[in-house]
Amino acid sequence: MKIIITLITAVIIMSLYAFNQTSNYTFSSGQDYENRHIQDTTLKNSMKRGEVLYADFCMQCHMTDGKGVEKTYPPLAQSDYLSEHKNAIKAVKFGLNGEILVNGIKYSGAMADLGLYDDEIADVMNYILNSWNNTSEEIITPELVKQIDK
Amino acid sequence: MKLKILFLLIITSGLAIYAQDIDHHKNEDIPITDNNNYTYETVVDELSVPWGLEFLPDGSLLITEQKGTLIHFINGKKQIIEGVPEVYFRGQGGLLDIKIHPDYVNNGWIYITFSSTEGAEKGGNTSLMRARLDGNKLIDKQVLYKASPNTTKGQHWGSRIAFDNEGHVFFSAGQRGERDVNPQDITRDNGKIYRLNNDGSIPKDNPFVGIPNAKEAIWSYGHRNPQGMDVNPKTGTVWVHEHGPRGGDEINIIKKGANYGWPVITYGINYSGTEITEERSRSDMQQPLYYWIPSIAPSGLAFIHDTVQFQELNGNILVGSLKYNYLEALYLDENDKVIKREKLLADVGRVRNVKQAPDGNIFISVEGKGILKLVKK
Repeated sequence: MKIIITLITAVIIMSLYAFNQTSNYTFSSGQDYENRHIQDTTLKNSMKRGEVLYADFCMQCHMTDGKGVEKTYPPLAQSDYLSEHKNAIKAVKFGLNGEILVNGIKYSGAMADLGLYDDEIADVMNYILNSWNNTSEEIITPELVKQIDK
Repeated sequence: MKLKILFLLIITSGLAIYAQDIDHHKNEDIPITDNNNYTYETVVDELSVPWGLEFLPDGSLLITEQKGTLIHFINGKKQIIEGVPEVYFRGQGGLLDIKIHPDYVNNGWIYITFSSTEGAEKGGNTSLMRARLDGNKLIDKQVLYKASPNTTKGQHWGSRIAFDNEGHVFFSAGQRGERDVNPQDITRDNGKIYRLNNDGSIPKDNPFVGIPNAKEAIWSYGHRNPQGMDVNPKTGTVWVHEHGPRGGDEINIIKKGANYGWPVITYGINYSGTEITEERSRSDMQQPLYYWIPSIAPSGLAFIHDTVQFQELNGNILVGSLKYNYLEALYLDENDKVIKREKLLADVGRVRNVKQAPDGNIFISVEGKGILKLVKK
């Protein structure tokens, strides 16, 4: 009997774990913003365009779930580096070089300038700032991106 | 008893899911070990993304910066070369590889790959040109190949260049973000290795010459994004490595007309963690010589040969890792099988390129750093 109880517990733990693992990889960004009832269709459309750009320019390193690769590519999901939007826009606009600290972990790999237009940077920023449980009050506009200098 | 068996079954399948999902790694891989016998000297500093590197007979260097600058590093100074083609600097595109003709001393030809906007559609695609250097100017520019159609996507330009000893130039063009359209279709560019005569004409013995609608410059297909290419000095064959998606970066020995399988067979998975396909091999498709899981994001490939300085590396290959910031040495046995792997220059930075100079020195290009020379401690 004891063995059976142990087994049942083990099964529950395993399936919970497996479920959790799978859900980590779910690419549910579209749903994320639908569910938060954002009325602003401008933001919604910007995020849609941003999602496509993200898959082309960012995903190879930062991954579909925005979690990056620990100690190699910093996370964008729940990342303290993004709390100052200016920093993040700067990184996308001009690239990054030198050590940065993200959620207490050091990252020293360089990020290249991506050659995106200002409106595309706004779109991809809006996508990043409102995906994977990230939320942002501010809507990034091309005008704002344009103002940001090196 | 029956219940117990049932529970065991459930547990086993639970374990299987768990293993597949997060334990995506190679079975029986050759372990990589640290080799701390090397360090480096900085030769050229303050470079951003030094994509291509070439050595001129006078000992000076030609360096392409991805953003579109061609630098001639001569007598310890950077000279900017004028007349460089306008590049479509986007994502991984820009001014890419550079390589001199094997008979450069007599003909002066320099071959360059870049992201070109030539053509009717918006965006760009990979182009190969040749030109000569006159002082600090590029002259006699000729576009030898321009892949089409253009696209505004930022990734997979390929672009490494190599020459064989029989008058051919090889170069790669990546799939340009169109996995399901380009690599397996020989009537389309991208996801291919190309072979041209040195003047840009198509060799009559290319594998797809005469096939209706085929891009006759294609030498091999089924590639994803090859950013490393060199000729094996022992056999004269072209070796290429390419980026997989998540896992499944490959080294391949390139054969005439061969299909390297992407995306029909692959050891990689989607960035999201889901399977692309469960197929790992097919009889009409090539298996890689070696593949990496997880991906190291390889860029630059160099056969080290006949060096006095690095005899321990002779006959083996070096590969840069963009992802893990080191230089990987892959040691080969007499049948060209990988038998040992070592990590050189741990944490040096994003290694974009590696080359052996004519004098036997080994140089690497590191993003955000510059050109570094490998030195034994």
